[in-house]
Amino acid sequence: MSAQAQPSELPGAIKEDEAPGAAGKAPGTGKVPDFPPKGRISSEGKVLNVFSHGMLVLWGLLVTLPLLWAVMSSLKTDKEIFTSPWGLPASLHFDNWSRAWSKSNIGDFFLNTVLVVGCSLIGTMLLGSMAAYVLARFEFPGKRIIYFMFVGGMSFPVILALVPLFFVMRNMSLLNTYHGLILVYIAYSLPFTVFFLTSFFKTLPSSVAEAALIDGASQTRTFFQVMLPMAKPGLISVGIFNFLGQWNQYMLPTVLNTDEDKRMLTQGLVQLAASQQYKGDWSALFAGLVLAMLPVLGVYIVFQRQVQTGLTAGALK
Amino acid sequence: MGSTPDFGRRDLIKRSAALGLVAVPSISTLTACASGGDDGNKVDKGKKSDKNPLAVNESAALDVVIFDGGFGQKYAKDAEAEYEKAYPKTAGKVKHSATQKIQTVLQPRFNGGTPPDLIDNSGAEQMDFGTLVAKNQLTDLTPLLDAPSVDDPSKKVRDTLRPGVVEMGQFDGKPVWILYYAYTVYGVWYSKTNLEKLDAEYPETWDDMLKVCEKAKKKGIAGWTYPGKFPYYMPFSLYPFIAKIGGPDTLIAIDNLEPNAWKHPAVKAAFEAYYELYKKGYILKGSPGLTHIESQTAWNQGKALFIPNGSWVENEAKKTTPKDFQMSVGAPSSLDSSDKMPFGTIWASGGEPFIVPKAAKNPEGGMELLRIMLGEKSTKNFVKQVSSLTSLNGGTDGLSLPPGLQSAQEALEKAGTNVVNPRLQDWYVALQKQQIGVGALGEMMAGRMTPAEAIKKIQKFADETAKDDAVKKYKHA
Amino acid sequence: MQHGKHQSATAVVAKVPGGKHPGVKQPRVKLSTRQKMERAYHQYGFPLGFLALPVVIYAIFVISPFVQSIYYSFTDWTGLSSDFKMVGFKNYDWLLHDDLFWTAVGHNVLLLLVVPLVTLGLGLFFAFMLNVGGRSKKNAAVSGVRGSSIYKVVYFFPQVLSIAIVALLFQFTYNPRNGALNAFLGGIGLDSLQQEWLADPKLALWCLMVVMVWCNVGFYVVLFSAGMSAIPKDFYEAALLDGANRITTFFRITLPLLWDTVQTGWIYMGILALDAFAVVQIMTVGPGGPADSTQVLGYMVYTKTFRDGQAGRATAIGVAMLIVTLIFAVIVGRLGRRERLEY
Repeated sequence: MSAQAQPSELPGAIKEDEAPGAAGKAPGTGKVPDFPPKGRISSEGKVLNVFSHGMLVLWGLLVTLPLLWAVMSSLKTDKEIFTSPWGLPASLHFDNWSRAWSKSNIGDFFLNTVLVVGCSLIGTMLLGSMAAYVLARFEFPGKRIIYFMFVGGMSFPVILALVPLFFVMRNMSLLNTYHGLILVYIAYSLPFTVFFLTSFFKTLPSSVAEAALIDGASQTRTFFQVMLPMAKPGLISVGIFNFLGQWNQYMLPTVLNTDEDKRMLTQGLVQLAASQQYKGDWSALFAGLVLAMLPVLGVYIVFQRQVQTGLTAGALK
Repeated sequence: MGSTPDFGRRDLIKRSAALGLVAVPSISTLTACASGGDDGNKVDKGKKSDKNPLAVNESAALDVVIFDGGFGQKYAKDAEAEYEKAYPKTAGKVKHSATQKIQTVLQPRFNGGTPPDLIDNSGAEQMDFGTLVAKNQLTDLTPLLDAPSVDDPSKKVRDTLRPGVVEMGQFDGKPVWILYYAYTVYGVWYSKTNLEKLDAEYPETWDDMLKVCEKAKKKGIAGWTYPGKFPYYMPFSLYPFIAKIGGPDTLIAIDNLEPNAWKHPAVKAAFEAYYELYKKGYILKGSPGLTHIESQTAWNQGKALFIPNGSWVENEAKKTTPKDFQMSVGAPSSLDSSDKMPFGTIWASGGEPFIVPKAAKNPEGGMELLRIMLGEKSTKNFVKQVSSLTSLNGGTDGLSLPPGLQSAQEALEKAGTNVVNPRLQDWYVALQKQQIGVGALGEMMAGRMTPAEAIKKIQKFADETAKDDAVKKYKHA
Repeated sequence: MQHGKHQSATAVVAKVPGGKHPGVKQPRVKLSTRQKMERAYHQYGFPLGFLALPVVIYAIFVISPFVQSIYYSFTDWTGLSSDFKMVGFKNYDWLLHDDLFWTAVGHNVLLLLVVPLVTLGLGLFFAFMLNVGGRSKKNAAVSGVRGSSIYKVVYFFPQVLSIAIVALLFQFTYNPRNGALNAFLGGIGLDSLQQEWLADPKLALWCLMVVMVWCNVGFYVVLFSAGMSAIPKDFYEAALLDGANRITTFFRITLPLLWDTVQTGWIYMGILALDAFAVVQIMTVGPGGPADSTQVLGYMVYTKTFRDGQAGRATAIGVAMLIVTLIFAVIVGRLGRRERLEY
């Protein structure tokens, strides 16, 4: 973080009013025009601008078109879906949506998911940052073993653990309970959280913590009142990773949470999709897909600024 | 991320020691749960009576898991309501759940020794029967078969079933582990209306089949389509075709994994006939990438004439089938006059395999529910709801059957004793679906493999399965 | 990380070379046993207290199931009953001689190489375009394109969707008959480019990779873009003045400064790529086909456990997956040894 070690290839001098001439091509796409002498806005600048806009718009289309197509298909009749995949629906069949909604209890599943993911996210962040803090800034025997145990967890294929995990849960009477699922979500989110936050805590300056300790604050208090607030950017980034991972988790609840009333959103959707596939109700299937996408997209659009600042902070470390 | 840590030998030793420490307690937990599956948690038996021949506990809970597929789950719910009516004290205690993910939902429960009392173990993700039987996980259903039928106390359930159903539930020897509730007729499915539009009839010989396809091709209609995503639909018409050409023993040898069973000339003749459909361009474009629903829908729309399928298709495709479609099933066409079996030879066998786990809490309840389902009332309900036959012989009197089911019934009558029942799909799922289906038949029908290559590959797969001692083997009696 | 050589638990850690953590330990000499214990408590009590809960939860729910799985890989466990026996290395012997296993390993390695590379590459490219690709303005050597925040929002869309949903969506998109892709190609007169996509063994795996890339690029655009906007503009200006063009500035300034972030992303993407389970199971022919062209280890574990009742073999495959991942992690770790720049 500290501003030492300027890259040697960079001279210090900065001149105002420097417009860059620009490479007309993207990195890695071959020919590189020479850097033009200093001066006005060059034509290369425009070329680059057009090129970059072009590429950006293209990817934007690639991202949005499949989603728009799904929305469009969800408002069509089955026949329209089959005969003209890209045609606009003759009339808007919102009844597809209500059919998908009523058949799949998406509303209930949404609440279940909010509850479980909300609690596990808090738990993950708290426990993860506690472990990471200690691992990053203290010396004690067995530290490396614990660190590797956590980090190694990132490479475990979850599917391998499913059945034994089921036993563990059963022996502890945690099957088909929200708190059981929360504990499992926390446990399986710890590796990445610890990995990420350990390196984050290492980058934080120690002077503030020292000052707090000298002032007589306990280690615990220093952690919660000094270090955690300082680590907020990192916490937000890893929190976003974890939220997305837990929100979209499918494997774990499928096996550990088979109670129909307690289903997670992903389970409900796959169930809906699978049953629509057997029943051949295509329009409702697309409607279900859209119903599943919209709330998450909506939440994202509302919070996109926070999501981005969170990531920004994470990238800054 | 700091500098890369230096992995020294010391660290390695330390880490492996730590692993050992972690490993010891977890293995002891493991043994603790391995011994968990005792029988101590069964419900008490009820009092045996004429009305309750299986001695069901009249107030015990019942836990049922139904495969929620082509037949839906309503028929089972209706039967559960009947059960509650027969045993009023169980009202509200019948726990019903339905899923497509039979394996992921139930496998851990089997391991944990707490499986449900009755399961419809069906669909793409059914549990492997061979393993369930070999590991002694199922209840012998003989008491159910020997109990009196709900409709006629003078008859045993066993005697009310269609021929072959009981045998299908046996693996080695006497015990009957599975009761197939639905009765499926497999074959070449078509629309009478669409054939009439072409001024054609269902082709009884392969030459006629090619002629009909040619006629259709000229009108821009494909002869055949199939679910290329699940190419193991091909056998539904291909296997009886092989049996018809080479006699029933050809299929039995194949099922028994006999050496060179696939090298039989009948197999080659059947494969080549199907391959010709591809070579002549009679297969609907894109078929190799379609799911069963997608191919059925294209077929419903008249884009292709024929599709290999089973009698569940009528219910599954209900939504996309035009009113005047006149769905029908045809037996495999005759290849030539030297065929060993007559035209009309068809594949029919049980579907929707129901099982009662050995560790079920209330196995009598599970069997009793099956007994109720095999009664005429539930059977008629099933036939009406999902237009499929049940294993109960008859049970359709007084019902006006939908066209597809009607034709299936007629096909069965016409076949008489010429009904074949290939078992590969129950006995060796991996071989049938992944290896023969996706690995060879799918490739051949997409034109990426010749019949000779496909046969060679399948024979190799079959030999590997025969040699693999992790796979339990079965033989036709 | 410190290269602290840990003494045995009772001994006091006297000195940690290059200790960077003042306020935690003060070297001292000669202590009584009681004092030692008090000091040990003083010194380790806090880390212990903070670690206890996370470690316990982690050990119960993650470590113990995995260790059990490794144990199962030496048994003939079916996964359907608790009756099994030890069979030594038999499952591993089967594994090494199974053609399908090696096919799957090949596909996994390909996924591990291609998916992170393309995803991160595109992520960097678009982020660079967003931040440096704009029309030059007065007083700024480099500037972002207009509307860059909208791009960032849109690009992130796929990331918030469950992979199960995305896979389902693309299954329809790739449908050869009425899927969006072929219909689109037909619509713009490129009928000759229409393909069977997932039904073509040569294309199927690539189709899956496209989906995995599609999902994740947006995340890295936002991530890298954040990192890039934090790089002081002077750096670029100076470099440009010095005669460098934008491509050189990318490789000489942007990439080195972002290297840590890229590396984290690489590991994250690698793990995602290794677990191609959902896309394979939901999208592919068979699944796993056509002709095993999309078999991956994760799906094999699944079919062996659940379809074939051969959980012993399945866990052996899982252990193999673990090894592939560890090799990957070591390689990424080595790449990370590249010289780092700080600012």
